Amino acid sequence: MPKVHPRRIVALFCTVALAAVCAVRETHAQRTAVETYAITNARIVTVSGPIIDRGTVVIRNGLIAAAGANVSPPPDARVIDGSGLTVYPGLIDSYTNLAVPEPSPGPSPAGGGGGGFFLAQQQRPATGGPNSTQPAGLQPEVMVEDVIRPSGTEIESSRSIGITTALTAPRSGVWMGQSALINLAGDTPQQMIVRSPVAMHVSFTPLRGGYPGSLMGVFSALRQMMLDAQRYRESMQIYERNPRGLRRPEVDRSLAALVPVVAGQMPVVMLANTEREISRALDLAAEFKLRLIIAGGRESDRVADRLKQQNVPVLLSLNLPRRTTAAMPEADPETMRVLRSRVEAQQTAGKLAKAGVRFAFQSGSLANISDLMLNASRVIENGLSSADAVRAFTIWPAEILGVSNQLGSIEAGKIANLTVTRGDLFDRNRTVAHVFIDGRPVDLRPPTDRQGDRPGGRPSLSGPWSLNVKLGPEEKTAALTLQQEGERVTGSIAGSLGAGEISNASMTADEVRFTVSLQIEGQTKEATFTGTLSGNEIRGAVTVVGAAPGTFTATRVRPN
Amino acid sequence: MKILVLVVVVLMGSAVQAQTVSETLIRNATVLTVTRGTLTNTDVLIRNGKIAAVGKNLNASANARVIDATGKFVMPGIIDCHSHSMLDATNEGTLAVTSMVRTQDVLDPTDGNLYRALAGGVTTLNLLHGSANPIGGLNSVVKLKYGRSASEFLFPGAMPGIKFALGENVKRSSTPNQPGVTRRYPNTRMGVEEVIRDAFTRARDYKRAWDEYRAASAKDKNVIPPRRDLQLEPLVEILEGRRYVHAHCYIVSEILMLINLADEFGFKIKTFQHVLEGYKVAKEIAAHGAGASIFADSWGYKIEAYDAIPYAAAIMTRAGVVVSMNSDSDERARRLNIEAAKAMHWGDLTEEQALKTITLNPAIQLGIQERVGSIEVGKDADVAIWNGHPFSVYSRVETTFIDGTVFFDRQQDLARRSERAKERATLEQADPNKPPARGQSPATPRRRPPTHEGGEIEQEEERP
Repeated sequence: MPKVHPRRIVALFCTVALAAVCAVRETHAQRTAVETYAITNARIVTVSGPIIDRGTVVIRNGLIAAAGANVSPPPDARVIDGSGLTVYPGLIDSYTNLAVPEPSPGPSPAGGGGGGFFLAQQQRPATGGPNSTQPAGLQPEVMVEDVIRPSGTEIESSRSIGITTALTAPRSGVWMGQSALINLAGDTPQQMIVRSPVAMHVSFTPLRGGYPGSLMGVFSALRQMMLDAQRYRESMQIYERNPRGLRRPEVDRSLAALVPVVAGQMPVVMLANTEREISRALDLAAEFKLRLIIAGGRESDRVADRLKQQNVPVLLSLNLPRRTTAAMPEADPETMRVLRSRVEAQQTAGKLAKAGVRFAFQSGSLANISDLMLNASRVIENGLSSADAVRAFTIWPAEILGVSNQLGSIEAGKIANLTVTRGDLFDRNRTVAHVFIDGRPVDLRPPTDRQGDRPGGRPSLSGPWSLNVKLGPEEKTAALTLQQEGERVTGSIAGSLGAGEISNASMTADEVRFTVSLQIEGQTKEATFTGTLSGNEIRGAVTVVGAAPGTFTATRVRPN
Repeated sequence: MKILVLVVVVLMGSAVQAQTVSETLIRNATVLTVTRGTLTNTDVLIRNGKIAAVGKNLNASANARVIDATGKFVMPGIIDCHSHSMLDATNEGTLAVTSMVRTQDVLDPTDGNLYRALAGGVTTLNLLHGSANPIGGLNSVVKLKYGRSASEFLFPGAMPGIKFALGENVKRSSTPNQPGVTRRYPNTRMGVEEVIRDAFTRARDYKRAWDEYRAASAKDKNVIPPRRDLQLEPLVEILEGRRYVHAHCYIVSEILMLINLADEFGFKIKTFQHVLEGYKVAKEIAAHGAGASIFADSWGYKIEAYDAIPYAAAIMTRAGVVVSMNSDSDERARRLNIEAAKAMHWGDLTEEQALKTITLNPAIQLGIQERVGSIEVGKDADVAIWNGHPFSVYSRVETTFIDGTVFFDRQQDLARRSERAKERATLEQADPNKPPARGQSPATPRRRPPTHEGGEIEQEEERP
């Protein structure tokens, strides 16, 4: 008999109750286009103004019609008694891949998983659209709007914890493409979209099978394409001014998509967690005068001064690092750096608030979305006020993403996205009673573990691994610790090959890739690992410049 | 050797709070000036980051920090002309010419190896791209200001450089053929030469295109500019003598090839790196004006490294080549003093000549010899205090200064260890560091005994 959470029983009850409401609603909807709801006697956290201890929110035609202590429900309103409930603006998850289909696992691009690093540029299919001048991963013209699907358990899970709106971005690439802000309800992608495009997205993850294949190349590729976009803009201007006697510049969709970026009109979201990643993003933004937004931001408090000075906001991940397994008796102790970073990640939000850096919360590919509010409460215990925590889920993301006229607070005229809870939003025992999106109540299903119900059930790489490397005549073992967030992977290695952080790591479909500096024959060499994940094992090739390629096997220390 | 390695491993345990004292007086030391001989019972006065005076019975201001260095040795900070420390990526191996990539974009100022190098008296590194391609990425010359941000590491005024590479690594003779997969060109030493020649031919055309545009746009505003090409710009800088070439190479034929090619295009190779057969063409290298940055006695690790001899440093030095000893290794970087000492042992270099291979000579090779590389008034106060002669395996570094600021101090390091142990205990008890509740958590993990020389790596990653 599976264990049933008391919370799940409550949620189940809510589902049944709401199903009845919905049944009525649907027949009603056929008769009249205007739907009106009133939540009465509720505590209202407006965010834009003071908290109303006991008041009414009126919802009409998808918008907030009125909210206040002295507001009476209109006669045609469906009245929900809000006694004992708190109404918040719908929560915004400021960075997700919600509604973006996952790539299907395919054959390894390196032809058998070996040595892709040293070999010629592979033929990569252009998935960004027809006639792109750039390979996949360097196509800023990709728009998430073109590929989102309006359903799925991930969307339902997010809604069930009170998230009504999400920024959703393409899953991979250096120039990943352009994001959209979507409401998590609607029958078609068109109904969901609140704003598109919102921002250009960049990750510092090298491509496979071609340039840029390293972190260094990533920065050079970004830089070259921005220079090309500047020239594209200038050339087009010169040509349009006086086309006679000038050779026509070639049309280029990729560069055209970057023109608003280099013109400082479209914001650029860069994925950066460590202090140095954030500093690199800030440097690049300063070099090209970009409107930068940092996503991830785990160590952003350490560069708070620069963030504030360059007016760069942070989409702060609440995927807080935690020790996932007990140390094995034979393992080396964890480094102080790792121990410190787990503790300090909980304090980042509070420090950013104190330093006056603008930020918004995001779920950061949490394996289990129901941990989101639990982690928010940890952040509050570590120095963030709960009022700021509410803001970081509502008005702050709305401001950062340019939709504060539509979302983020309970004010007449704004989109009627509301999250109604029993108990304070950050109380560990609170339950979500109702969620309204675009003025309609939505079904609430208990959140499900994301990795469990992925098609194909892809497990996360996170956790300790035992690494066995064969290089030439030598066979060595090391402890490998991995942490996966979406397609991005971080981690460290320790053992007789050396010790250090892995870099340039990624996981796409079932292919894992990372590089690490190793001590080989008295020299520090960069080794590139490319392998295929199968169950609790990763098998693949190790390539080192100036040495014969080797093989490796990584085995999960605690099998799933 | 092993003792020394272990000593360094013990040293690097804990952080030194970098102290800024405007004046420091090191008293009564044996000073290895490198350029002015060895001075006994001599004081070194450091003021505002520079060496202010060297002499006997110097006076310092009242608030100066005074270090009694009786019985101790002071030498210039060691300069490592070939390092891959501090880099989050070393190779962009996808293309044969990657002059557009920059090591400066991927610096990791928190790399614990930097602290270990400081504990070996090293103060400056030449961070080079790897050897995956004939023309690699751009270098970074850094001072080891461990604890500061990456931008503060950069050596102001150092000549920009680039990595070239020839031979086995570039043609990837160790990469087997795979069915259905095209190998990256080039696959032979002839191909390597062709790739470099082609790149410089393109760079010449690129420069011409920009010159023509500049001339034309002065008269006509409607001219569309040429594309800025980040791959070719550094090659133009080489042609104009504004960027140093550091070329990884091994055998005679490829060394001569590159000298001829550089002469043909009218540029200079600043250093040949590794250059294990350089002793055979020492005169040709000297005539070109190139330096050599080598290992003392590391060879035989691949076919092109079979013909090396430990007398190479001495032979090339006597032929007039500026020779330096480099580490190319996070581990060897901690004991470059011993690499230099080997040059006295093999080939009878003088003590001063041997010292120069890790101080003034690498400074010359990086274009920073006016700033560092010797103990002279006016130079940067990048110095280390050793408890014995640095050429003894029993000697160790007491204190390392960069620009007059302490970045490593053995006594401070030892003093902080109990504090750090306490911090670890507290951190282990913090909620996010507790293992998930799954029965009893195991006792404090044991350390594995060292199983391999140089393989036991200290785990206490130091945070600046």
